[in-house]
Amino acid sequence: MGLREDILSHPVSELDLREILTLSPDDTVQAAVRLMRLKRLGCVMVVDEQGKPLGKFTEHRLLVKLVEDAQALIRPLKDVMVNDWAEVKLNDPIAKVLDAMQNHGMRFVIVLDDDGKAIALTGQRGMMEYIADHFPRQVKVHMIDDAKLYMDQREGA
Amino acid sequence: MRRKRRKSTEGSFSDPLSDYSPPEFDDSLEEALCDNDMTAMDFTPMVTVNLETSVAKTMQILAETGVACALVIDDEQKLHGVFTERDVLDKVAEQYFMVKDLPVRVVMTHEPVCVYDMDMPAKALNLMATGNFRHVPVLDADDKLIGVLGPRRVTGFLSKYTTS
Repeated sequence: MGLREDILSHPVSELDLREILTLSPDDTVQAAVRLMRLKRLGCVMVVDEQGKPLGKFTEHRLLVKLVEDAQALIRPLKDVMVNDWAEVKLNDPIAKVLDAMQNHGMRFVIVLDDDGKAIALTGQRGMMEYIADHFPRQVKVHMIDDAKLYMDQREGA
Repeated sequence: MRRKRRKSTEGSFSDPLSDYSPPEFDDSLEEALCDNDMTAMDFTPMVTVNLETSVAKTMQILAETGVACALVIDDEQKLHGVFTERDVLDKVAEQYFMVKDLPVRVVMTHEPVCVYDMDMPAKALNLMATGNFRHVPVLDADDKLIGVLGPRRVTGFLSKYTTS
């Protein structure tokens, strides 16, 4: 079976899922920045006391808010979060992650269990790793010529 | 991807490097990734800023264009680095007032790993997956910057083969 068929038929649970970072609506943007840097993840979910998602705050939102308001770091997340996010279920085919990212224009997708509870995060990085793992001969072991694989600085590109 | 196997003649030596038969692909997506060059993917338009553009101005351009990555070039259009949302998180946000008026070259990611337009898409995905890069600039044969590949463009490319 090829990569396309696998993406269409294999479940989201086969992706390398990431921990969901959560904060409360009254936490500040600065708290979100510190958590995202600590966990090396570009998205924080804002949840209520029962853990129900209320919104999300991302690196992109941080950039936009800093441009609008130089004091954005002291603002509460409830004032700057976005109320739109994409969800897939653990048993959905991986193709649904692609659809969700494509339709919502987002890099992150929330993964729900059968009871509708948010249990993990996936998205662009999970997809890339799945593809690399899926056919390592073509992707992972593909010649990189003389390109320097690891940059001096972390990410940013 | 597999290579066709030739029937071996018992007792005779068969040089594996003499097999020039074209590769066979399991499906259209694998073929698209390994049997095309980068022109099969969208890597334009791109946002460029000069090395001396301020951090605040660069962020403003990114916010207005809705783009996650600015390619930082010199007066000769040579690529020196990239400035992305991750740089904002890691190097700008918590010290915004100290760095906002500095040139973007101070906080950009220097010398990003690039691909060439004649490379296959699998190579770009390889770099993104193994190097954990989100944006990969695309150069032509003369090392001229011609575009950038990012998450949205990769998603769009993959979606073409997975939507029924």
